[in-house]
Amino acid sequence: MKISLNWLKDYVTVGVSAEKLAHKLTMAGFEVEKITTVDADTVFELEITPNRPDCLNMRGMAREVAAILNTRLKPVKMPGVKFPSRPCDIKILDKKGCPRYLGTFIRGAAVADAPEWIKRRLCSVGSRSINNVVDITNFCLMETGQPLHAFDYDKLCGGRIIVRRAQEGETITTIDGVERKLDPSILIIADEKRPVAIAGVIGGKDTEVTQETKNILLESAYFDPILIRQAGRRLGVSSESSYRFERGVDYDAVGAGADRAVRLVLDCAGGIVAGRCDIRAIGKRPKSAVIVLNIKKANNFLGISLAPSRYKKILRQLGFQAAGGKKDTLRLRPPAFRSDLKEEVDVVEEVARVIGYDNLPVSLPAVPAASIVSETRRGFRQAVRELLLAQGVNETITYAMVSEKSLVQARQGHLGGVRIQNPLASDQGVLRPSLLPSLLSVVAFNINRGQKNLKLFEAGKIYTASGEREALGVVLAGRQEDDWREGRKGAFDFYDIKGVVEQTLARTCGQEIRIAASPCSFLVPGQGVSVAVGGVVAGFLGKVDGGVLEAWDIKQKNVFFAQIDLEELRSFFGKERTYRPISEFPAIVRDVSLAVGKDVSFQQVCATAFRLGRGILHAVKFSGEYRGEKIPAGNRGIVFSLRYKSDERTLREEEVNEVHEKIVRALVSELGAIQR
Amino acid sequence: MSWNFQEIQETIRREAAQIADLKDLEAFRVKYLGRKGLVQDIYASLATLPHEQRPVVGKGANDLKNDVSSIVEERTKAIKARQARDPGEDIDVTTPGVTVPPGHRHILTQTVDDICGMFERLGFVVQEGPEIETEFNNFTALNIPVDHPSRDAFDTFYLELPDPDRPGRYQLLRSHTSPAQIRVMQKYQPPFGVIVPGRVYRPDAVDASHSFMFHQIEGLLVNEDVKFSDLKGLLTVFCRRFFGEKIKMRFRPHFFPFTEPSAEVDISCYICDGKGCSVCRRKGWLEIMGCGMVHPKVFVAAGYPAGKYTGLAFGLGVERIAMLKHGIQDIRLFFENDVRFLEQF
Repeated sequence: MKISLNWLKDYVTVGVSAEKLAHKLTMAGFEVEKITTVDADTVFELEITPNRPDCLNMRGMAREVAAILNTRLKPVKMPGVKFPSRPCDIKILDKKGCPRYLGTFIRGAAVADAPEWIKRRLCSVGSRSINNVVDITNFCLMETGQPLHAFDYDKLCGGRIIVRRAQEGETITTIDGVERKLDPSILIIADEKRPVAIAGVIGGKDTEVTQETKNILLESAYFDPILIRQAGRRLGVSSESSYRFERGVDYDAVGAGADRAVRLVLDCAGGIVAGRCDIRAIGKRPKSAVIVLNIKKANNFLGISLAPSRYKKILRQLGFQAAGGKKDTLRLRPPAFRSDLKEEVDVVEEVARVIGYDNLPVSLPAVPAASIVSETRRGFRQAVRELLLAQGVNETITYAMVSEKSLVQARQGHLGGVRIQNPLASDQGVLRPSLLPSLLSVVAFNINRGQKNLKLFEAGKIYTASGEREALGVVLAGRQEDDWREGRKGAFDFYDIKGVVEQTLARTCGQEIRIAASPCSFLVPGQGVSVAVGGVVAGFLGKVDGGVLEAWDIKQKNVFFAQIDLEELRSFFGKERTYRPISEFPAIVRDVSLAVGKDVSFQQVCATAFRLGRGILHAVKFSGEYRGEKIPAGNRGIVFSLRYKSDERTLREEEVNEVHEKIVRALVSELGAIQR
Repeated sequence: MSWNFQEIQETIRREAAQIADLKDLEAFRVKYLGRKGLVQDIYASLATLPHEQRPVVGKGANDLKNDVSSIVEERTKAIKARQARDPGEDIDVTTPGVTVPPGHRHILTQTVDDICGMFERLGFVVQEGPEIETEFNNFTALNIPVDHPSRDAFDTFYLELPDPDRPGRYQLLRSHTSPAQIRVMQKYQPPFGVIVPGRVYRPDAVDASHSFMFHQIEGLLVNEDVKFSDLKGLLTVFCRRFFGEKIKMRFRPHFFPFTEPSAEVDISCYICDGKGCSVCRRKGWLEIMGCGMVHPKVFVAAGYPAGKYTGLAFGLGVERIAMLKHGIQDIRLFFENDVRFLEQF
């Protein structure tokens, strides 16, 4: 909100420089965002917090300034003319939406230019001058905070005012020349036939006050803040009026605002009050409740020792009625226009604000050793993250929302996700049930910008009807570019994604990892597997299907993806590890070279070996794979070594040979391997 | 003619040390042992010397011959051995070394970890809460009235997930990390200090400074006698450590429904040193967090006995802090994940 310093000085003694005042206002909760000079006037742009609608006007700000600077409010000369009540034809059909409506019928006013002093005041706060009557309504809004609207009475069909909800299909052309469609959620002011204003938001073009206007109906009302806010948002209109109504104007001051305007109209434009009708759905509101302030407690809370008299003075300047209560207490009644003040702590804040937070002391709190244990979820995620980073994988953070279409394209449509009722855009309608669409989008984004070789992960959330789960997504695309040496660079393949995932999970979970063929529609057949850690199936990995890549317009074929549900594995993380003595006894290593059929897996070879290893087979290490002339068609050659070791003794050559031969024989007989 | 054998020996040692390859070595051998080499010159000079000097000089020449021979033999072996190990003797030592370069932690993660780490060192414990929340935790328990605009569908994402506790109502995506405060308070009794990082969501149209998903960090300290001065002190320590000892700070009264008194914390703009620039919009100050003393109604909603505890709370936007600290102009960069962006941090 803009306030003019000259205008403000009509109501309060200032006595400090504009800069000093700006600083004081900022430090009292009214941040001065900008100071400009308009003619010989200084204009502040203030941020008024939503709890302070009482400060959206000059008089309210003057009251604050008086308290902050500890100066005096100037009495405002307002001739206390009582206008007699005479009937007007006003009817309120929605009493909840409009609990108070005060209409004043002024006959025989002369609409002309506004007086210079009003024009100058309005100009300083950026309001354009229209004519004397309209300017007076704007002036009073700025001065008192009560929004007003003037109708050309002769243009109101039937001379009536009806406050009601709009009907479906009704329209109104507002004073800005825009035709607006209305609906029953919107409160309107209507005459006998049609809407003439959107209540509290903006007036209608047909009934606005012009140079030809003779007779005026001046509206001063209280509208329901929520209705006004919703109407403004629905129609995309915000006005000085709606801004104040949606924050709440002072119900009891509706009359004073009207009287001030009527007085000014009669002074500036002449005419007589021919009718005045104040319709209230509720009578005078009950007085606000008394708040008892414990001075000792307040002083302790703020770390100060302010005398009760000082408390009293500050609070009185802010409009409180204050009286001494029992020892060390004050009995306080907040002013009617401060509906935000309800309890003791609200009063403490008022005092702290006026003193200035900067003038309050500083201390360091003792942070107690809490009984709260830190969550393993975060620790697990961090450990997973560190391992991926160590393997050269970059961390990404992507939006949790995806489009339903992208889920279908990633062949994850069956997972569902969680739908958002009010998405910002149709391509952000679902909370993702999978990280695949998000990471493919990142891959596509980078490839389109020339970065083709990518190693990326996200430790993020996935969402299902049963809630959110923490998941890890890893994607590799293109080729390994970190090693330029001959034979060591090449396109990523299945074993790259498998290695990254295995290392990460083995280190964090300390469990055996098993993979099993598991056809997934979004992975290339034969290169999609499930991943089980310690017997718990926790995710999948493999090569992304070309059809899926096509939907993201990714031309390169080597894109590998893994997703692991970290929630499933969390219980494995953070286990204490116990030291196992390092064996002093030497190991005996035997190499094996076999040709095996296509359907024989290395996992099967290992299982057979360990079954017959009699506790002395310590490890099986894979060292190579080849196909070629020397291998029978349909077979592949594999080379691996068996490592025999005991923790208790040196193994004898013969006993190793015996076990080893048995294993090799079993591989031949059971798996059909050919020894080479 | 006289020979200074000591000097010659020194020269030999110096030259031998500089021999790099077989070519150097041959030149060295020829210089001393060749037909026109130094040793031959010495032998030739013997005839011109007085008799009594001849045995001394003769022995010196023999020693030289032996020394140079053994150097040549030894170095030949060494050079050949080295060549056998590394046949491509001429490697280009300026080509890049090879390793797997570690990946880059996302700058938002780094910022979260830095901030949480600072509070952890002050005794706070990290807690996290879910993103899918109830209206009660996100609004009601935080003293946000039923008709408050932030509850509108314009300001909060509602999900097609029924609220188990309130028939006819739906769960939502938390619009701030504060509901995690409620969860902590429902679960634990004071005293405690917790720090809560997390993602939050608001239906803001995306532009350079707005995003519908962003990150917040929230802090909460509850005890029997937490004072307003503690709030100022704690956040002063944090800001000094995080933004530098030289910054100035101010606590400006503000309004939040769940704290009373409430404040916004400004630090002097470190781009312009408080003089006013485009980053601080000519104010000289940068707004970096909101804070306040926990509203008594929040304690009541959490189930604590009325009036028993006081507490302080604060919250900050991670993207904003990271943008200020690293000169990032556009919030969208965080979520596009261009590797040329990721790899800068």
